[in-house]
Amino acid sequence: MKKTRLGEFQELILMTVIVLQENAYGNEIQRDLEDRLNERLSMGAIQTALKRMEEKGFLTSEWGETSQRRGGKRKRIYAATPEAHMTLREMKDIRSQLWAAMPNLETSSS
Amino acid sequence: MTPSTGHVPPRWPLKVLTLLIKERYMEEIEGDMEERFLDNLDQFGYNKAKRLYYFDTLKLLRPKLMKGWGGDVRLNHYGMFINHLKVAVRQMKKQKVFSAVKIGGFALGIAACLMISLYINYQISFDKHYKDGDRVFRVVNEWSESGEIGRWTNVHGPLKDLLEENIPEMEMVARVVTWSWGDAGDNHLQIEGKGISHYEEGFFYADPELLRILEIEMVFGSQESALSEPNTLVISRSKAQVYFPDQNPVGKQILLNKNPESLYTIGGVMEDWPENMHFDGDFILTLFGRKTGPGTSGWCCTNYTLYTKLTEGADPLVVEKKTGEMRKSLVIDLLKQNGQQGLEQEAMYQSYYLQPVSNIYLNPEEVGDFYDHGSTDLVWIFGAIAGIILLLACINFINLSTASSMNRAREVGLRKAVGSFRSGLVFQYLSESCLYSFLSLLLGLGFSWLLMPFFNDLTGMSFDIPWLTWWFVPGLFAVSVVLGLLSGIYPAFILSGFQTVDALKGKGVVGGKSYLQGSMVVFQFAVTVILMISALAVNEQFQFLMNKPLGYEKNQVINLLGLDTMEEARKETLKSELLSLPAVSNASLSDFLPVEGSAVHNRSFWLGPVRGVSNGHEAALWFVDEDYITTMQMELKEGRDFRKGEPQNTIIINERMAHALNLDDPVGQQVTDMFDNQFQIIGLVGDFHFESMVGNIRPLALSSGADPATLSVKIETADMGEALVAISEVWEEFNPNQRMRHQFMDQQFANMYAELERSKTLFMVFTILSLVIACSGLFALSLYLIGKKTKEISVRKVLGASLPRLLLILIGDFFKLVLLAIIIAIPIAWYFTETLIEWMANRIPLEWPLFVTGALVASLIAILTVSFEAIRASMVNPASQLRQE
Repeated sequence: MKKTRLGEFQELILMTVIVLQENAYGNEIQRDLEDRLNERLSMGAIQTALKRMEEKGFLTSEWGETSQRRGGKRKRIYAATPEAHMTLREMKDIRSQLWAAMPNLETSSS
Repeated sequence: MTPSTGHVPPRWPLKVLTLLIKERYMEEIEGDMEERFLDNLDQFGYNKAKRLYYFDTLKLLRPKLMKGWGGDVRLNHYGMFINHLKVAVRQMKKQKVFSAVKIGGFALGIAACLMISLYINYQISFDKHYKDGDRVFRVVNEWSESGEIGRWTNVHGPLKDLLEENIPEMEMVARVVTWSWGDAGDNHLQIEGKGISHYEEGFFYADPELLRILEIEMVFGSQESALSEPNTLVISRSKAQVYFPDQNPVGKQILLNKNPESLYTIGGVMEDWPENMHFDGDFILTLFGRKTGPGTSGWCCTNYTLYTKLTEGADPLVVEKKTGEMRKSLVIDLLKQNGQQGLEQEAMYQSYYLQPVSNIYLNPEEVGDFYDHGSTDLVWIFGAIAGIILLLACINFINLSTASSMNRAREVGLRKAVGSFRSGLVFQYLSESCLYSFLSLLLGLGFSWLLMPFFNDLTGMSFDIPWLTWWFVPGLFAVSVVLGLLSGIYPAFILSGFQTVDALKGKGVVGGKSYLQGSMVVFQFAVTVILMISALAVNEQFQFLMNKPLGYEKNQVINLLGLDTMEEARKETLKSELLSLPAVSNASLSDFLPVEGSAVHNRSFWLGPVRGVSNGHEAALWFVDEDYITTMQMELKEGRDFRKGEPQNTIIINERMAHALNLDDPVGQQVTDMFDNQFQIIGLVGDFHFESMVGNIRPLALSSGADPATLSVKIETADMGEALVAISEVWEEFNPNQRMRHQFMDQQFANMYAELERSKTLFMVFTILSLVIACSGLFALSLYLIGKKTKEISVRKVLGASLPRLLLILIGDFFKLVLLAIIIAIPIAWYFTETLIEWMANRIPLEWPLFVTGALVASLIAILTVSFEAIRASMVNPASQLRQE
């Protein structure tokens, strides 16, 4: 199994893409993530991450519909590839193991 | 759905993004940006929305998203380029003949250019290696009269002192004697005055300052002191190695010609001089402190060449002016004191010129001197020829590419239909032609490497391909790219200009361009005809000179050299011993021979018992013996020959001299020379050529006497080898310590014309080269054009045309072109050859047969080339061609 490194940011975006399903396009991903993280994100960062992951083979994309609101320009819808799912699962497993091995810490998760 | 407040996002951020972001991302990003703006507008109001818009724009400028950062442009162009190369290679394989002609032609052109640039580079490189080269000059006389300028080197000896005293800008002044006066020229040397006499050349005299002026590197001894004692000499490293291997020979002595007055001490050893210096020497004898001969002559004679090094910052023109004034005042007075005539004229017209040392070899100022020169004319001619050959090759390329363009019409149409812009097509075809020129570059290098030995023979030098110089590989690469671009531009535009629909249907651009094709063929052949006629002319000229009656007989004469180590009486004995050999019919003692390498001596003569006021007539004065005229088989026309024991005041003059002195009846007349010696004319000899026949025969006088180093032997038998053996046996008896040196007079004669022979061969070579290129182009073109007419030929055959008639039709068009080429070429060829030989005194007249032959040969070859394809096409079975209908 190849060890492909996914950064934290990229992991978050990947998961958001899966969550949003057919709504996963640039602005929506950005809005969702901004909500969850409670901070402003830049479009450049999002776009770069998306393109990079597309190159690595974690995402595919295709054209969506146009709308007046977008000045007639089409959306680009992203979807996760099987490799992406596999990698996410791996990382989750690693994290779970680590958490399980953690000595009695007050884990206050919200 | 209009936005709530009717605002629109600002315009320019998108423009910036379009400029900088990869094209394929733009639609998505634009849409997102607009959507976000509207969201922000609703949420935050216009101003903040605007700010956020700018902010986002800025943050979008990241390497990953920007143009040119991998992934987009490269993918497109790079991939296409590979495709172009593939297609080009396939085309090459499909059209083997055309490709071979194109590449071969280019390769020849490149090889020619390479070799010629090596030659030109070498010629220009002479004397450029001095550190202070811009301060080193040769002082030369200049005669300027009504616009005509003449320059020559020989100056008076005492001029050196005058210059040193009066011209402070001349840091150092040195005289040089290279012609055979005293011990200059060639000698026999003995180490420490004992043992074998070795023959060596390359002796010359110089003042001690020469070592510093010409920056001669010393191995032993120093530039300042090596020649500063009387009777010292400096020897070159290679000669020192021969005679004093691995030692420091300074202080040892060398005796020249067994002459006790020519005993020299070695003062230093110098590095061998580089090949590209204007003169060459191995032994420098000092002029310092001499008592007789070189270095001691005063204002009577001009015997020296003068070099000078100016002080730093001195202006040569200013120095020239100063020396000119010095001449007018001091020099003229001294000359007047010496009794020289004609000084008013000299004062008016004669001054000095400082020739930069780097000019001496190529001699653009046309200074008359004794050195060998390169020729700027030859450099130009060679360069022009290389350029022409390259041009012919380019023309072939263009012609053949456009001619075969029809075959690629469909490809062009397809590419255009699928979306290629014209620029893309132009790029494709240009890269194709660059590929061709790159391949021919490799082939051309191969040719050069193969032909280098032959080229070295031709030019008499030894060149090597300079693989390792820093400019070689990139330079060649650049040349091939430029070549490819230049030749490829026209075909590229033609090809890319095909109309899509027509091209796919199989039609292309027709007509119009056949004019261009035709004119290119005409040009190629015109050039070939011109070269051919020139080659024939030069050849004829050369043959003429070789076969012209000389006024003496040069064949069957062996010259024995190096007799100067023998005493007078022994020479006579040697001569009579040799005469007793059965093979020998005649022998004569004299240093003066009518061929290259013999002695030179000139004087001015006046008719009558006293020296005249006017300039006198210059004539060569030769010292010979009583057997000279018979040995050389010259024609004594009037009077008598010399007798044994002839007094030294009698002379025999040639017809030219009699003419110059205006003598109808020369025998018995008296003349006086510039030294006030009186001579009586006792005979008249028929004019004979004693200098190169490119000049006229000058006045000449024969006198008896002097101490010759040369014995000429006339051989009667056919077997020269046997005679030589017999002679050398006799020599061994007389001179066991000295090897016999000999030359054949007819060989020496041929040497005088080596340069001419070289040009002759050169012309032939280039004519053949251009013929090859022009013909291969014509051949390929004929293949194509006649190939197009196969249907027409078949139809004609079916209708009953005979083979000869067909051939006539096919070849007729080509013939018209060749005819046109000939008509254009002949006047130009006439002008060109006329200029080539008009400067020669003995030249052939340029007559009709020459031009007709040249033109005829060219046309014959052209027609032969075309007829290959014509005959083959005519013999094709018509049925096979018409079947396709």
